Amino acid sequence: MLAVQLLINGLVTGAALGLVAISFSLIYATTKLFHVAHAGVYTLAGYVAWSLSTRGLPDIVALLGAVAAAVVVGALIQGVLYAELGRRRATHLVVLIASLGMLAVMQNTISAVYSPNILQFPVPWRSNLVSVAGVPVTVTHLLTVAVSLSAYAGTMWFFHRTILGKQIRAVASNPFLAEITRLRPQRVYVIVVAIGSAIVALPGVLVPLDLGLQPFSGINPLLTATIAMIAGGIGSITGSFVLAVGIAVLQNLSLLFIPGEWSIGITFGIFVVFMLFRPTGLFPAGR
Amino acid sequence: MAPYLQAQGLEVSFGGLRALQDCSFTIDKGRITCLVGPNGAGKTTIFNAITGFLTPNAGHVAFRGDSLDGLTPQQIVAKGIARTFQNLRLFVDLTALDNVLIGLPAQTGEEPLAAIFRPFHVAAAQRRRRQEAMATLEHVGLADRAHEFVRNLSYGEQKLLTVARVLATGAELILLDEPASGLSAGALDAIMALLRRLQAEGKTLLVVEHNTRVVQKIADDVLFLHQGHLMATGTPEAIISDPALAEIYFGGTI
Amino acid sequence: MDFLLSYLALAEIYVLLGLSTNLLVGIAGIFSVSQAAVFGVGAYIVAQSLMHGVMGFVPAVLVAAVACIVLNILVTLPSLRVSGDYFVVTSFGIQLLATAVFINWTEGTGGANGLPGIPPPDIFGYALETNEQLLMLTTAAVVLGCLVFWLTMHAPFGRLLRAIREDELAVAAAGKGVLRAKVSAAALAGAFAGSAGGLYATFLSFIDPVSFDLDASILLLTMVVVGGARTLPGSILGPFLLLALPQLLTFIDIPTTIAASARQFIYGVLLIAFMLFRPQGIVGEKL
Repeated sequence: MLAVQLLINGLVTGAALGLVAISFSLIYATTKLFHVAHAGVYTLAGYVAWSLSTRGLPDIVALLGAVAAAVVVGALIQGVLYAELGRRRATHLVVLIASLGMLAVMQNTISAVYSPNILQFPVPWRSNLVSVAGVPVTVTHLLTVAVSLSAYAGTMWFFHRTILGKQIRAVASNPFLAEITRLRPQRVYVIVVAIGSAIVALPGVLVPLDLGLQPFSGINPLLTATIAMIAGGIGSITGSFVLAVGIAVLQNLSLLFIPGEWSIGITFGIFVVFMLFRPTGLFPAGR
Repeated sequence: MAPYLQAQGLEVSFGGLRALQDCSFTIDKGRITCLVGPNGAGKTTIFNAITGFLTPNAGHVAFRGDSLDGLTPQQIVAKGIARTFQNLRLFVDLTALDNVLIGLPAQTGEEPLAAIFRPFHVAAAQRRRRQEAMATLEHVGLADRAHEFVRNLSYGEQKLLTVARVLATGAELILLDEPASGLSAGALDAIMALLRRLQAEGKTLLVVEHNTRVVQKIADDVLFLHQGHLMATGTPEAIISDPALAEIYFGGTI
Repeated sequence: MDFLLSYLALAEIYVLLGLSTNLLVGIAGIFSVSQAAVFGVGAYIVAQSLMHGVMGFVPAVLVAAVACIVLNILVTLPSLRVSGDYFVVTSFGIQLLATAVFINWTEGTGGANGLPGIPPPDIFGYALETNEQLLMLTTAAVVLGCLVFWLTMHAPFGRLLRAIREDELAVAAAGKGVLRAKVSAAALAGAFAGSAGGLYATFLSFIDPVSFDLDASILLLTMVVVGGARTLPGSILGPFLLLALPQLLTFIDIPTTIAASARQFIYGVLLIAFMLFRPQGIVGEKL
């Protein structure tokens, strides 16, 4: 039945989007910066994986290579660009503009070097079908959900059970206090952006594995993820993830009534509702 | 008759930190009241609660019988209460005159329509407003520095300017957050003289102050705050000579 | 010669957009990537009005300006009440939503093919058809725009906005409405952008969604950043320089397939470079 198919599509898309939301939420809650260039890191990961894959490297190497590339680029953006802007006492607006510039640089470099057109992964098994509850689902979809749930669990474990994770949460909630203790905020920011970049690399590879690579397709998921973050409650990992899945499901189910090109309107409509009635989101911060 | 300014049962918490606990006090019209207490006692928090910069978790503030609960800072200024900041918060890249002009209420040309369609009217109105602002600067003794950018003013001059900006709003109850701190002896005398002049003109002042000499010289009443709670009220002599309070203020733990 | 006239007229139209962007981003300090969307709304309104003979050029531009004023108010008022970062999301959302509308609402905007055959502008029935006449129109518009900008910046409104840029809290403590001032600045920015759209539509006699997308908004930001934020000279210099850039690029042998990406790449680099090393632009004030 169509609705079931759409629901499953929504869950898969939502799982991928959930990782984008978690990663962006971590970065925003800690650095207080709206890291627009995160969409560029997301895009970059996919293309790096594609490059490695087309050179015949094993799939797992391509994925890890993409994660590594994302971590390096993300860490550089925070550690070099944002940190330098911070040293020059740049205003919030200045950093936003610089981040947007970085996004433009990344997306257009990719477009020029690779191609502005859609590229497909040369991975033979990506479209193989498996039956789930009587509905055909691709291997890629299953992989996306599995990886996403694992990454979500891993992230929750890291931030609630490890010392480094707790230190990061301390800095996130009170950078001034952190400044005067042993936790160096700048170092923490780089670590958080590195972790966020690693997380976002996963959907950055898995989504194009399913749908194909495009240089400028990063901003849409980032925007939706940001809305999920806000609606879920800034600083709440679970909130971002759950709302991302929820929004994706709503978006997909709305296809029963509205043509696909207007689905951004649904997402935006959800945002407007939250902004007007519950700007602090659904979940309290910190969980 | 309702008290001039009344705070009842104010509770303010930041996360786990209780900044104000069941804080209640009244201020009488026409008097200079000093708010004293050790660091972290909650003095600036009281200012923020009165002037709408934060919403208390519990409690009420009323001014001349009208409730101030839930009002925005702008609405509270309109009611006649204005405050200065401990860290001044002057507009550094504007002139002293401009800083005062920002405080003058209800100017034409503060929104684009008048500025675009009635430019001559706006210009004429601005000339009158500038005169008003100059008069305020003269009142605090800064008339000769009117066209200087704030970043070129001395610290003492900047402090006087914060008072000028607050006076420009026309407020009758003025909250001053450490107006005398960091000043040289000459500037200190100037500020104290200004505060007494303002009282003589009918203003009511609530002043946060650490300097006991200043408190003794200008205060009619003193409120001693400790750990977010009003611990004692009285004349300056009574409060300052109380050994238990001195222990808290100078040597005690928070 | 004709080419020079075209360049000047187009640059003047973009100066109006520069004034608009400067009001919003430079002076009110609101990060916006939706300027091109508003520009597009103005363009499509005037184009359709003229093509269907509904009204003359001047009334159409007035209607477009009012529509864009309302649009900007609707967009800024709810989001700015919450926080500046909320507006970032709203701005991206508006821009992407507008592009979706421009591309898909074929009845209203001609869809992806755009609207060809827009009639030339008329001043009280007298049609302006030659390049010289069009240049006179755009010059008159720019002079008027600069005058309005100058008047508002020298009025108490300008002083209020400058104070808000420095310290919103202090402005609130002085009893002045911060939100109202920002929304007013946004409204005025809308009027400039909408009028520029009307001029653009009749000057080029053809408009399509590509001129009003996110890349176009990035170009507008770049103009203001390079020329100089918050000042009248900056709003003029930026557009003239950035519009000359594609011409300068023709001296370098760039394959046409990546020409657009190359331009956007350069805009990104300019944004980063200026934010790092010269946030005040060439003749502006620090952002």
